[in-house]
Amino acid sequence: MLNKLAIGGIKHRLRDYSVLFSGLMIAASIFYMFLSLALNKAFLKSNSPAQATAFIFGFGIVLLAIITIVYINYANKFLLSMRQKEYGMFMMLGAKSSKISKMIFVETFAIGAIATAVGSLIGIGITGFVGDLLIKNMDMQVSHFNSFYLPALLWTFVFFIVIFIFSALRNSISLRFTKVMTLLNMDSQPTKLKRNNAWTIIQSILGVILLAIGYWCMVKMGKDATFIFLGVPVALFTIVAGTYFVINSLTTTIINLLKRNTSFSQKGLNNFTLSQLNFRIADYTKILSMVSIMFALALGAITVGLGFRQQIDTVANGQNYYDASIRNINNKEQNLVDKIDHKKLTVYEFKNTKKFTYYRNSDLESQGFTYNKFSKSMISKEVPTHKSNPSVAFQLQNTIPVDEAAPQAKFVSDAKFDSLSGKPETMTFVKTDSFKNNLSTFKKISEIQAARYPAYKQFGGDKYSVYKNINSFFSGLEFMGFFLGIAFLAMLASCLMFKILSGAAGDVKRYNMLYKIGTRQRSLRQTINKEIAVLFSVPAVLGIVHVLVGLQMFKPLLYKPYMHIEVPFLIFFVLYLGYYFITRYLYKKIVLK
Amino acid sequence: MTKIVEVKNIEKIYGKANEKQFKALSDVNFEVQPGEFVGIMGASGSGKTTLLNILSTLDTATSGEVKIAGEDITKLKNNEMADFRANKIGFIFQDFNLLENLTAYENIALPLALQNTSPKKIKPAVDSISAKLGLTEILNHYPTELSGGQKQRVAAARALVHNPSIIFGDEPTGALDSKSARALMDTMTKVNKEDNVSILLVTHDPFSASFCDRILFIKDGEIGQELKKEEHSRGEFYQEILDSLGTFAE
Repeated sequence: MLNKLAIGGIKHRLRDYSVLFSGLMIAASIFYMFLSLALNKAFLKSNSPAQATAFIFGFGIVLLAIITIVYINYANKFLLSMRQKEYGMFMMLGAKSSKISKMIFVETFAIGAIATAVGSLIGIGITGFVGDLLIKNMDMQVSHFNSFYLPALLWTFVFFIVIFIFSALRNSISLRFTKVMTLLNMDSQPTKLKRNNAWTIIQSILGVILLAIGYWCMVKMGKDATFIFLGVPVALFTIVAGTYFVINSLTTTIINLLKRNTSFSQKGLNNFTLSQLNFRIADYTKILSMVSIMFALALGAITVGLGFRQQIDTVANGQNYYDASIRNINNKEQNLVDKIDHKKLTVYEFKNTKKFTYYRNSDLESQGFTYNKFSKSMISKEVPTHKSNPSVAFQLQNTIPVDEAAPQAKFVSDAKFDSLSGKPETMTFVKTDSFKNNLSTFKKISEIQAARYPAYKQFGGDKYSVYKNINSFFSGLEFMGFFLGIAFLAMLASCLMFKILSGAAGDVKRYNMLYKIGTRQRSLRQTINKEIAVLFSVPAVLGIVHVLVGLQMFKPLLYKPYMHIEVPFLIFFVLYLGYYFITRYLYKKIVLK
Repeated sequence: MTKIVEVKNIEKIYGKANEKQFKALSDVNFEVQPGEFVGIMGASGSGKTTLLNILSTLDTATSGEVKIAGEDITKLKNNEMADFRANKIGFIFQDFNLLENLTAYENIALPLALQNTSPKKIKPAVDSISAKLGLTEILNHYPTELSGGQKQRVAAARALVHNPSIIFGDEPTGALDSKSARALMDTMTKVNKEDNVSILLVTHDPFSASFCDRILFIKDGEIGQELKKEEHSRGEFYQEILDSLGTFAE
C-alpha cells in the first residue's frame, strides 16, 4: 500500500521528477563523454603533440568527478525535499521509520540507476554525433576515436552506482533520524541571513589574493613548462577557493551598495530583485563558484580548440606565401586556376641541369618573388626583385623536389637562358585572397601535381601539403578542445539550471504575494529575467577572466593565443544564452500562474 | 457619497457547464460605506474567502456586479486589475505574506515602490505609518526575527502605507496568540476610527469580529443575517455574535 502511495506521489510531481531525471541523465552522459576521451590512451597519444595531455586529462577526470559529486548532492537534496513531507505524513499515520527509510533508499537508487543507464546510452549517442559533426564539418583528422568505448562505459557505471548507493544511504539515514514534525514543516523552515561585515571584507581580500596567486601560476606555466606539475594543482586550488570567496563576498557587497542607493533600489521591484539575489548568492555560492570554474574550463577548451585551428592556418600561411606552385601547368590545372576569383599569377621559367637550376633574370625583375621571412616570432613579407638577394634563389628552388633540383640556382639573361640545353619548364605560382576559401581547388591541384610528378608526393612542399600535415597534427588537439568545451558547457548549464529550478517551488509563494498586492505580470516576469540573468552572468564574468588569464598557459603551444578570440566567445555566448532562456522559461512556468 | 463597496447579485459557480458544478456564492448583495468596519463571518467552506477573492480582483464572479470606490471591477483587464490592487486595496493575510528576504521597512515600502513613488516620499510615508503602529524600533529586522504579532503589524503597515480605499483582511488574527490578536484588532480599530479607513474583515473568530461595526453572516454561499454593533460595548457585541452564530448554524 505504502509503495503504491509513494508511486502515486511521484506521478503527482512528474514535472519535478522529469527535471531531476533529465539532470542526472545529462550528468551521466557528460561523464561518459569525457571518459571516452580521457581513458582512451591510444586516442590521446595519437592526437596530441603535448606530453602533458594525459596528465591534464587526469586532472580533468578528478575535477569532473568532484563536480559530478556536488551536482548529484544537489539533485539528491532536491529529491529529498520533494519527498520528505509526504514520507513525514506516512510516518505520522503510523508507518515505521525503517520501512520509510527503505523506501527512500530504493527510490533514490532506482532513479540513479535508471538515469545512469539511459544517460550513458545518450552519452554514446552524443559522443558519436558531436564527434561526427566536428570531424566532418571542420575537416579534422582524428584517429582512434570511438563513440562506444567499453572502459568508459564501465567506469561511468561504477562511479555513478557508488555515488548513488551513498546518496541512497544518506537519504534513508537522514529520514530515519529526522523528527516527524520537522519533516512535515520542512517547507516553512525560514531562511536565515546573518552577515558578518568583518568576515565579508576578509573574504573579499582573501579571494582576490588567492585569484592573484592562481593567475600568476598560469602565467608562469606559459613561460616555464617545467612548472606545470606544481602549477596545475596550485592554480586549481587557489582559483577554486578564490572564486568561492569572491562570489560569496564581493557580489553581496555590490548588491548591498546597490540596495543602499535608494533612488535605484526603491524603484518598482528593484529592491525585491536585489534582496532575492542577496539571499540566493548566500545559498548559491558553492554552485556559482563551481559553474564559474566549469565555465572557464569549457570556454577555455573551446578557445584553445579554435586556437589550434587558427594555428593550422597561421602555420600553413606562414610557411608558404603562395597558395599553390604548379609545375608545367596543363589544361586541367589551368581550368581549375581560371575558376578562382581574386588571384595573382606569377610564372617562372626554369631549366634544370646537373649543376644549376637556371631562372630568367627578366622574370625576377619584372615580377619579383614573394616569400615569408621569419624573425623570432614575427613573419614579414619580403618581395625582392634582384638576384643579389641571397634568399630568392633558395626560395624559388624550394618548389622543386630536393632530389630533382640542382645543387644551386642561378639567374641568367634571356639570351643565355635560351642558349642553355635542357628541357624548358615553367612554375606557376598562385596567390589568392584566401587559401582557406579555395581549399578544395588547391586540393585538386595538389593531387594532380602529385599524380603527374610522383616525387611531389614525398616532397610535400606546396601549401596544401603543408596544410594537410599540420591539420592532422593539430586536429586532435582541436577536437579535444571542442569536445571538452561542449561537454563542460552542457554539464555547467544543467547544473545551474537545476539549482535555480529546484529553488523555484519555494519562490511560488513570494511571487504569488507580489501578484496579490498588485504587481503586474510583466513586472514579475521582468524581475525573474533580471534575477536569473545575474545568476548566469556572475559565474560567466569570472569565468571569462579566468580564461583570458588562463590562455597564457598555452603560449608555448599556440602561436597567438588571443587571436580571433571573439569567435569561441561568441559560440559560447550563444549556447549559454540558450540555456539562460530555457531556464527562465521553465522557472516562470513553475513560479507564475 | 460614493459607497466603498457595492456588491449586486454576484454568483460564483465552479466547474464547466457540462461537468458537475458547485455554487460557491449565490445572489450576494451588500454595501460598505466609507469609514465602515465590516466583518464577514462564516464557517469553513461557507464562501467567505471566495467572496474576498472576488472583491479583491484575485478571482472573477460568474455573474453580478462589484464596485469598489465607484469603479466596476468586473470589467477590468489583467493589468488594470493589478494596478487596481496596487492603488486601491490593502491586504492583510492570515499567514502575513511578508517577503522574508526584505526587512520590515522594505516590506512596508513595497506598495509605494510598485507605484513608482519617489524614494524621497517613500521614507516619510513608511516612517509615519510605522510610528502609528509602533514599528519604529524593528524596521531594520527581517521577518524571521519578528514575533507573529510584529509580523502582522508590519503587514498592516504595508496594507495602509499607500492610503488605499479599503483594507481587506483575510483571517488576520488566525495565526496570532490572543494577546497579539487583541493588539492587532485594537490597531485596526484605531486606524478605522482616527483615519476613517474602511475595513472589510473575513473571519470565523467571534473575538476579532466583535471589533467590527457590522457583521454579515455567510452560509453556503448566501448572506443570511446581519448584525450591527450600534451603541453596544464590544463585550456585549461579542456575546451577541456568539448568540447569532448559535442560531445561524442551525
